[in-house]
Amino acid sequence: MDAIIQQMTGSEAETILIVDDDEFNRAILDNIFSDQYAIEEAENGREGLEKLTAEPGRYCAVLLDVIMPEMDGLEMLRHLNAAGLQEHIPVFLITAEATGDTLQEAYRLGVMDVILKPVVPYVVLRRINSVVELFRARKRLGHRVEQQNIELLQRAQKIIELNQGMIEALATAIEFRGGDTGEHVQRIRDITEFLLRNTELGKGMSEEEIQNISIAAIMHDVGKIAISDQILNKPGRLTAEEYEIMKSHTTQGALLLEKIPQLRENGFYHYAYDIALHHHERWDGRGYPDGLKGDEISPWAQIVSLADVYDALSCKRVYKNAFPRETVLTMIREGQCGIFNPKLLECFFQAEETLCHLYDVPEGEH
Amino acid sequence: MDAAKRQRLADAGIDVDSALERFMGNEKLLDKFLGKFPADQNYAKLVEAIAAGDNDAALTASHTLKGVCGNLSMTALFELVNGQLAAMRAGQWEKAFAMMDEITPLYERVVAAVSGQ
Repeated sequence: MDAIIQQMTGSEAETILIVDDDEFNRAILDNIFSDQYAIEEAENGREGLEKLTAEPGRYCAVLLDVIMPEMDGLEMLRHLNAAGLQEHIPVFLITAEATGDTLQEAYRLGVMDVILKPVVPYVVLRRINSVVELFRARKRLGHRVEQQNIELLQRAQKIIELNQGMIEALATAIEFRGGDTGEHVQRIRDITEFLLRNTELGKGMSEEEIQNISIAAIMHDVGKIAISDQILNKPGRLTAEEYEIMKSHTTQGALLLEKIPQLRENGFYHYAYDIALHHHERWDGRGYPDGLKGDEISPWAQIVSLADVYDALSCKRVYKNAFPRETVLTMIREGQCGIFNPKLLECFFQAEETLCHLYDVPEGEH
Repeated sequence: MDAAKRQRLADAGIDVDSALERFMGNEKLLDKFLGKFPADQNYAKLVEAIAAGDNDAALTASHTLKGVCGNLSMTALFELVNGQLAAMRAGQWEKAFAMMDEITPLYERVVAAVSGQ
């Protein structure tokens, strides 16, 4: 059926198929329509059906006699009906016997119109031309609607991409301020997405959820925009007071996201909010800002938290150099940089074989 | 089509104007199909079926003959065959067969007229 529709959406169908066993009838109809259409003839229902199913896209109408040898008109109609062809090609019954039963059965089988024999040319021309034009207009309109739908989808896709671009730009700008290149936020997104797609962590999540969480991960440090340069870029150790201010980037991030109404309507908002607020919580309850413990911390906040630590250890920061891979893994395993959900760690170490290649590219200072 | 021929056809109960209209004014085509009428086998089949007492075959032949007459606007013959067909459909076979007494002479006149005699 799809193939038929595809064939039909091609060039305009120009041919009328006349199915009648009587030579006189065929000649008369042929003579009426040959000025405006190409004509194909068949001597019985079987022959007509063969021609029609071989090249359905060629035909714009079928003129069908009822009583014929081999296969009569009603049986041919049943076949056309079963194939769904009458949705695309109008069928006209041309009959001398418009008796109740035949008429009822023909209309039940979906004929467009019944025309009495002997035909009156201007009547048959008029009735068939109108329907053919109607079908053509409907097809053209269908094409336009289809085309417009495609354009709308493309535009929607562009808007989504623009949205993501803006979010990434914002997150990258904030990171730039912290002296990084912006690659950190991209890697956090990649690590989060990789863990969701390739380990049990993403089990039961829809494609949309995974995408929303991954894009939300980019925003985890958005609150750093509220932290002063001296603290953010301080090479040495932070004082207790400074550290408290630094910690407030979590609550500041959540506040900032909350203030953008357009974000609140987006599917990724509640992930972004939760991740910004809770990506420094610890499994043992000793994190900040809320001291959440165990499964009180959402899975996505836990994942981003671990990704953040892993990336920070693997790269040079203002306050430290990059550690070798083995050291990074030991530090994470031994809980030197935070306590994590054992299940999460298990999934992480499985995936790390692949994740470590994120840092393969020589970056000079690495 | 000359007036004499037109008159000859009209005399045999053929509505030339209506026939021409059906052929979209294409006189050559009408002429060609009028010329084919004597060779059309449906009348012979009808006679044969009645002689053999084959009701089904008679009905089919009568039906098709009616169609041909209708297309060529052989109005008088069309009416007769149509009456016969209606009788057959009503199961009045004897009446239908008896109508051959009217049909046969008119059929022969029509054949003669279209053959140019």
